[in-house]
Amino acid sequence: MNAGLQDAGARTQTAPDRLDELFSHRVLLVTGKGGTGKTTLSVALGLAAASRGLKTLLVEVGGAQQAALAMGRAPRGYRIQPLHGRLEGLSMRPEDALEDFVLKQLKLRVLYKLAFRNRVIGPFIDAVPGLPDIIQLGKIWDLVQEIRSGQPRWDLLIVDAPATGHGLTMLAAPRSMMEMTLAGPFHANAQRVRRLFSDPATTAIVLTCLPEHLPVRETLELYAALREHQPQVAFCALNQLQDTPFPQLDLWPRARAHLRELADNAWREALELCDGWVEQSQRQERARRGLVRDLAVPVLDLPRAVRQPLELEDLQQLAAALAERLADAPETGGRS
Amino acid sequence: MTAVLVCCGAGGVGKTTLSAALGVHLARQGLRVATLTVDPARRLADSLGLQGLGDVPRRIRSEALDGEPGGSLDVAMLDVKASFDRLILRMAPSPDTAQRLLENRYYRYVSTRLAGSHEYMALERLQELADSDEYAVLVLDTPPSRHALQFLTAPDRLARFMDHRVLRVLALPRTVAGMESLRRGSGLVMGVMDRFLGGRTIQEIAQFVALLEEMGDAVNQRVEQVRAQLRRARFFLVTTPQPASQREALLFLRALQDRQLPFHGYLVNRCTPAPSLRAAPALDCRVIEPAPGIDHRSWSAILEGVRRAPARYAHLADADQASLSLLRHAAGEDVPLWSVPALAQEVDNLQGLARLGAYLPPPEALLKP
Repeated sequence: MNAGLQDAGARTQTAPDRLDELFSHRVLLVTGKGGTGKTTLSVALGLAAASRGLKTLLVEVGGAQQAALAMGRAPRGYRIQPLHGRLEGLSMRPEDALEDFVLKQLKLRVLYKLAFRNRVIGPFIDAVPGLPDIIQLGKIWDLVQEIRSGQPRWDLLIVDAPATGHGLTMLAAPRSMMEMTLAGPFHANAQRVRRLFSDPATTAIVLTCLPEHLPVRETLELYAALREHQPQVAFCALNQLQDTPFPQLDLWPRARAHLRELADNAWREALELCDGWVEQSQRQERARRGLVRDLAVPVLDLPRAVRQPLELEDLQQLAAALAERLADAPETGGRS
Repeated sequence: MTAVLVCCGAGGVGKTTLSAALGVHLARQGLRVATLTVDPARRLADSLGLQGLGDVPRRIRSEALDGEPGGSLDVAMLDVKASFDRLILRMAPSPDTAQRLLENRYYRYVSTRLAGSHEYMALERLQELADSDEYAVLVLDTPPSRHALQFLTAPDRLARFMDHRVLRVLALPRTVAGMESLRRGSGLVMGVMDRFLGGRTIQEIAQFVALLEEMGDAVNQRVEQVRAQLRRARFFLVTTPQPASQREALLFLRALQDRQLPFHGYLVNRCTPAPSLRAAPALDCRVIEPAPGIDHRSWSAILEGVRRAPARYAHLADADQASLSLLRHAAGEDVPLWSVPALAQEVDNLQGLARLGAYLPPPEALLKP
């Protein structure tokens, strides 16, 4: 375990900071488009929470098993496995969660399990699209409620929750499920899940985004869609910010004009390369500003990692950077 | 016969932009082209005149398309619900059956949420455009999927859904008399479904299945046509050299190979060209003096930035080259790969799309049988 990070944890335990406030929720849903760094951020948050003494479970939905791999462990699927310290992980497939659900409702014994698996689980998933999302959320609800030796088994659940390709989040599932089923256990489950995820004291949402035009636009759309369902977005992590050539980009035209007069061939090529770098940096900055302007929650800048794949130490550094940015962030973004 | 180009790849790699650029490119070469796009970025949509258009192809008129005579570009945007409704209207034996289906609550829920319905309807729309015989080439920008495979399995999924035993089991005992034995046999499953979904929903599913039955084999035949078209299409994988999108591309490649579908090459977007200068230029006494109006501190930061630029780009280009070799290695060395450089300007107009043509495959390569 990274000693620096532990120290930081110990220090903050005396005076609760913004990260403690975030971790006072029972569920953190990390969501955003594919490739925006959800899993990395989920693991970093998990490490930070665990280092502050919280029994933390990192849940991956839809059968993804990236978290264990990121921690250098063999994934164990639908079985809770230790990841690091107090951080444990679980990878969930819709079939697993649905089977749990149906068996619990029917109070069936193991004997029935095999006969049921193919005849009921598959058809349900095929016949009722959207069911996998809602059932997986239901399973998360069960995990929140789980008691062990008189205590909640988990202080915090971090859910690595993909936004679907079509811009809708799995969080929109409860409402349409309720409209579709009207009554019965699925309906009741949807209602229960909706209550849990729309309670701002219990659940917080963390968005991930990249500093590019299209991802920013999609994040803003996702944010708007989320606000219709549940308002409690805690912050947006802006991942993979690239290094800029120098801080004052607006000085470039003047500097360039001056250097061009003096340039030999090598300098001329370096200037051209720097043109591209400056333009790319400006584009990144425009995207970032657009996000900060239109999100009413803090936007946390996180730098692009130097190496791929990330190692434990990189993830811990990311967790530390996250804590630092969150501490510095204003209460809200540009618009409130 | 109409040639169909399918651009696949992970979300965010520039599929929509490159699909539009392919359309512009081929139209400039004198071909009649239609591009079917999915959710384009607003500015690109504006420049193509797609705002509020729906899924009817619109002819693009612009000097940017001037080239060989005879070329034209139509663009349409996917509308899943409209395509599904049209499919129903076309397949139904009577307007009454169609109407009752379109009003069925279960149909309305399922039509846009069914796993693969976006992907299937993109193919369905493509088939309609191919049937119209108006185009020499169709370019499909595939929907972003949670899983790459969803696109390839969409027809199978729909066929399975339309033909599903459980849906039938639910419907039969209510629609056909004298099926007591069947009802008893499936009693366990039915009991569970009834209990979980509630009576009214089950009735609506039953009505839905009964209406589907009235369509006979029309739907299945159509799905089979669409599936055949998928087998004839030319697949291009759009990716970037970034590890995440490359992983997706390789998964997709494997899926194409497993299904023996025709893979025609990679389009690798946002590549960094290797700079000829790889190291910092020597610091020469003439550049040390700041430009007028710039203080010493900012000036040395700027000089340092310029000097770091070559090494930075050399490093990025090397990483990209390693990534390209990996892609080549995975597909076999004779599979074509086109790399499209990362452009400083965002491509959001027809002129920009036309400029991308310089990096795209020539028509012979795109339309090779």
